Amino acid sequence: MTASLETTDLRKAFGGVTALDGATVRFRHGQVNALIGPNGSGKTTFFNCVTGMIRPDSGRTTYRGADITRKAPHAIARAGIGRTFQLCRVFPRMTALDNVLAAVRPGGVLGGLRGARSRAQTDRAREWLTRLGIEHLTDVEARNMSWGQQKLLELAGVLMADPETVLLDEPAGGVNPALLDRIGTLVRELNAEGRTFVIVEHNMDLVMSISDHIVVFDRGRPIAEGPPSMIRTDERVLGAYLGV
Amino acid sequence: MPSASDTVTAPGAAPAPPGPAAGRPRLGRVLTIAAVVALAAAVLAFPGLAPNPYILSAGIVVLNYAVLSTSWNFVGGFTGYISLGHGALAGLGGYGTGLLVTKAGLPSLAALVLAMLLVALIAVPIGFAALRVRGASFVIVSIALVLIMLLVFQSWASVTGGSRGLVVPRPFPDLLRPEHHRVFYYLYAGLLALALGVWWLIDRSRFGLGLKAIREDEDKAEALGTPTFAYKLVVFVVSAAFTALSGGLYALWFGDLDPVFQFSILTGSYMVLMALLGGVRNLFGPLVGALVVGTALEFFKGSFGNTPLHLVATGVLLGLVVMFMPDGVLPALRNLFARFDRTRQSSIREVSAAELRDQRLQSTGGKA
Ligand SMILES: Nc1ncnc2c1ncn2[C@@H]1O[C@H](COP(=O)(O)OP(=O)(O)OP(=O)(O)O)[C@@H](O)[C@H]1O
Ligand SMILES: [Mg+2]
Repeated sequence: MTASLETTDLRKAFGGVTALDGATVRFRHGQVNALIGPNGSGKTTFFNCVTGMIRPDSGRTTYRGADITRKAPHAIARAGIGRTFQLCRVFPRMTALDNVLAAVRPGGVLGGLRGARSRAQTDRAREWLTRLGIEHLTDVEARNMSWGQQKLLELAGVLMADPETVLLDEPAGGVNPALLDRIGTLVRELNAEGRTFVIVEHNMDLVMSISDHIVVFDRGRPIAEGPPSMIRTDERVLGAYLGV
Repeated sequence: MPSASDTVTAPGAAPAPPGPAAGRPRLGRVLTIAAVVALAAAVLAFPGLAPNPYILSAGIVVLNYAVLSTSWNFVGGFTGYISLGHGALAGLGGYGTGLLVTKAGLPSLAALVLAMLLVALIAVPIGFAALRVRGASFVIVSIALVLIMLLVFQSWASVTGGSRGLVVPRPFPDLLRPEHHRVFYYLYAGLLALALGVWWLIDRSRFGLGLKAIREDEDKAEALGTPTFAYKLVVFVVSAAFTALSGGLYALWFGDLDPVFQFSILTGSYMVLMALLGGVRNLFGPLVGALVVGTALEFFKGSFGNTPLHLVATGVLLGLVVMFMPDGVLPALRNLFARFDRTRQSSIREVSAAELRDQRLQSTGGKA
């Protein structure tokens, strides 16, 4: 299988804290990958480095063979990588519809002057809101939504940009069990439609049930990887993370 | 993989029902249109009603403020970057126009347009430097711009006339004073209409939505694929161009430039105050703010002379606005009218959690 997203020896320190300590990871195209590890093991920092939000001290990231290490976040997004944030980020004073429409790429200078609420785009945005089950909130400002609704809205926005690869930082954080199931099902569906996922998640039931491949981080670098069946019984993982 | 451009239509997408967002509540919309028409009529009729040239020139000053704060709002309103340095751009437009007339011998109109282009050009490196920093740092950089310009234009006296000032010949020397005022009044009104038109165009565009995303959460906008820096730079240049036009028109009208007034922190502060007062998210917010503050300022100056009193008054006003109407007068007014409007859909905050759950249950066939 072809590598989709690949990092080589990523390092990042914040002052004295080493967040990434030589992370070399490969995520395969077309799979649902999970990235797990204890709190502070560098998972979010890894996402931030990959998406260009933070510049790594050293190391390289390639996406589908192209070096994206020093690219601006918007360029990486346009290359096909979408992401959500651990502390869910939406545009608080925009309606759900505008939140989703904000992900539309204008397409050149003239495209930028076209109406933001064109029929075609609005229909597409409503479709995503419907798919995520929040179409009844279309005209509600994001700041007036619940945490779970905001998480769904964030995901709708990311998907509107039509990313080939989606990085989710704790999609199940703080959501109720019913929603958890919905998110799991949705990820599998979207994966079947051809999207690659990398999911940081602490909820092991979700991780084990939806992923094809799991990478375990500890102290800023991978210590194990493999299919769920293997990770479940790996002793290093049990020691470092599952705390058994 | 399909691209995110609008050539892709979602297959089987249900036709969007014209939801409540399709228009503001009916009464609100009618009131808005009525208010705009009334305002436009009042602006156009003002020169005919003004009892003397002094009042007419006060009207020009207020319109100048309206254009300036609307121009400021291209940056402040869309991106949320609060610039206190826009006075420098107006000053550059004024001096640019004045110098092109006096030193290069250009006709007034050509000088005005060329000065606008030059300021737009200068705005590129300025924006490049200033827009890299956010929040308070941006405000400070923008203030520095004004101070630097003041120093340059004061000390470079051989060209700018320094503190002695620069006299700009009138574009229509044959016109009598009242006629001169009248012409400039309408020129300013036209410029205001143009600025409002362009703001409206951007407001409803994809570019505008991207800018508003920057205002809401810049990193998030960037992560979604918006080239935030380029967006900010473009809108800064547009803003600078309109600000320069307003400054240039002022030079041609007033005919006498002094660095102390042209490059004053006060000018930028007024723009901020007026825009905030009216409401930066509204097309007409800065205009309304300029009408209120500008008229008050002119009144104060007329009745009490040029005392620091009006500065105190503006300061107090700004404090009150920020505390009680953080979104400005227009949204506050709209909310007031909305209370009397029974056709209006219940406001989002009045939708209770229970109602939301019911809607949800209906929409998922009672499974959730
Ligand atoms: N912006 C920052 N400034 C300083 N230190 C940081 C920053 N971001 C992360 N760190 C530090 O880097 C280390 C790794 O943090 P990171 O957020 O990547 O962990 P994580 O694996 O995502 O943890 P969690 O599961 O709790 O979200 C932590 O020690 C954290 O304190
Ligand atoms: Mg994290």
